[in-house]
Amino acid sequence: MADLELKEISKQFDQQFAVRDINLHVQNGELVVLLGPSGCGKSTLMRLIAGLETPTHGQVLIGGQDKTALRPKDRNVALVFQSYALYPHLSIYENIAFPLRVRGMPDKALDEKVLWAARLLDIERLLQRKPRQTSGGERQRTALARSLVRDPAVFLLDEPLSNLDAKMRHAAREELRSFQHQVKATWIHVTHDQTEAMGLGDRIVVMDKGQVRQIGTPTEIYQHPADTFVATFVGSPPMNLIEMGDHILGFRPESCLPRAYFENESDLFKICFQLQRAEYLGNETLLYALTQAPLNTTKMIARIPSTLRLDVHPGDLCEFAVRSSDLRFFSAGEDGVKIDRPASALRG
Amino acid sequence: MRNLTSETENRAIAALALLPSFVILLVLVALPTFSVALYSLQDVQMGEASHPFVGLENFQWALSYAPFWNALTNTLVWVFGSVGIEMVVGVFIALLLNKNFVGRGIARAIVFAPYLIPTVVAVLVWRYMFHDVLGVVNYFLLKAGWINEPVNWLSSPKIAMMTVIIVGVWKFFPFVVLAILGVLQAIPQDQYEAAKIDGASEWQQFWRITLPHLMPIFLLTTLLRSIWTFHKFDIIYLLTGGGPVGSTTTLPVLVYQKAFADFEIGRASALAFITAFLLTILLLIYFYLSKRVEARQ
Repeated sequence: MADLELKEISKQFDQQFAVRDINLHVQNGELVVLLGPSGCGKSTLMRLIAGLETPTHGQVLIGGQDKTALRPKDRNVALVFQSYALYPHLSIYENIAFPLRVRGMPDKALDEKVLWAARLLDIERLLQRKPRQTSGGERQRTALARSLVRDPAVFLLDEPLSNLDAKMRHAAREELRSFQHQVKATWIHVTHDQTEAMGLGDRIVVMDKGQVRQIGTPTEIYQHPADTFVATFVGSPPMNLIEMGDHILGFRPESCLPRAYFENESDLFKICFQLQRAEYLGNETLLYALTQAPLNTTKMIARIPSTLRLDVHPGDLCEFAVRSSDLRFFSAGEDGVKIDRPASALRG
Repeated sequence: MRNLTSETENRAIAALALLPSFVILLVLVALPTFSVALYSLQDVQMGEASHPFVGLENFQWALSYAPFWNALTNTLVWVFGSVGIEMVVGVFIALLLNKNFVGRGIARAIVFAPYLIPTVVAVLVWRYMFHDVLGVVNYFLLKAGWINEPVNWLSSPKIAMMTVIIVGVWKFFPFVVLAILGVLQAIPQDQYEAAKIDGASEWQQFWRITLPHLMPIFLLTTLLRSIWTFHKFDIIYLLTGGGPVGSTTTLPVLVYQKAFADFEIGRASALAFITAFLLTILLLIYFYLSKRVEARQ
């Protein structure tokens, strides 16, 4: 295992930047998630680390050594593909053994290593099967086992859960996390699914249009988004953003609760809205509403836990509030970067 | 009750829809096959009204007829020679065309051209090119100093079969390229990328990924080409007419000669029937293999 460092990595395809000026330091044994919408450059970044693409500019350092010019096989990284890229004509055993076979490892050592990996991922009973005779989850574990036998310095996983159904995805996330802890791997995980990112990552790198928007722990990313892109990309439903003239006001749907809920608390920001539609989801209710004066009329969403019994109907004017500490402020420009509370900010 | 009626109606509609195909198959396939089978058991001479029944006499005759064994040997040489070379050349060129290079589109178009040129046109051009005195092939070989005297490409019994195979390969290797290229392009790229990361060399990637992916279609194409080559008539007949001295007479050519030069329809039918029997064996292997390939996918 080793740490991984990207220094000012850029990659251009036909003058277009796929990724631009990426700096990232992944600690030894850390699990970092690359999160972003499709086409944001996260897969390209992973391929750059793996050596399947060469950067136009910048350096890839693994364990402190510059590996930028090395071929994929000489970087000691493992890549688990979205499709798992298993060889359909080989058995699960031979799939796992593949990296060792091409290195010419003696049969006995190879057998031990394959069995070790299969045991670790609990796929021993599948070893004689062909990939097509196994389930999605089993294929994923096979792909992991195949990457594991090489003792790679860095694990790269490209959307490994996207081929699984929602129920299995949850279980697989658990398994991945405990597997990562077990092998104490330096691990980069690409996904467009923010729940997956929040649940898995020690840190999350949010990317958009080839650039890093924010690097931080799940809490930092969620609580203190660096800009309006991160604020709306992370969180479902996204952070509410309201134009306030020279700045943008933001708050999470769940921090907006009925005024009465806060009782005697003083440092509140009051929000009056007209309810458009209520969506009952069992554990919570989403209120789709339009903000009222003195705020600009803007669409917003409030998220009310079901334990808070609330009797409201479409058309009702509701008085809600957000704790001042839960308010976020962004510059009014296109970037919408995080700013300190402006002097002009309304007091509740 | 209502259900039963609609069931009967459905069946009637299905039968009606199948009727045209059934009639066409009956007239174009079943009837000729049946009449060949019938003729093979009769002594049929062109222009004679009576067709006395002779039992298996025509088959006995065929099996003791030296030119039949000669034609069978020629057919095997023709099939194995052409298909063998076609497969090797086809796979090699498909691998080349699968690489990224400037002008790949044009290269592909050129490679497929022979397949699109009508056989008659192609054969006439080749006949001219292989002419021992006027032909461009001899001209260039002499010029290059590779041969000292003109080669009798089409008139030497020792060389004619090779010439015919060359033309056959030229005409039909694009089919192999087409089939193999289709498979090559369908192999997921990430398997190669995974192999690269795992440390596989180019050769190991070919041996362990490309080849196993190609194998099913390679086998099927080999068989299909063998079947088609087995009953190929036009190329050989137009190039050499089966000569010189029977050196390129394959079974279909022999059948033609017996039927339309010697007018011995009964014996020709027996020969045709034996040819069809041999082809059926190849066809059964083909169906068996393609079923297995389907099951694997």
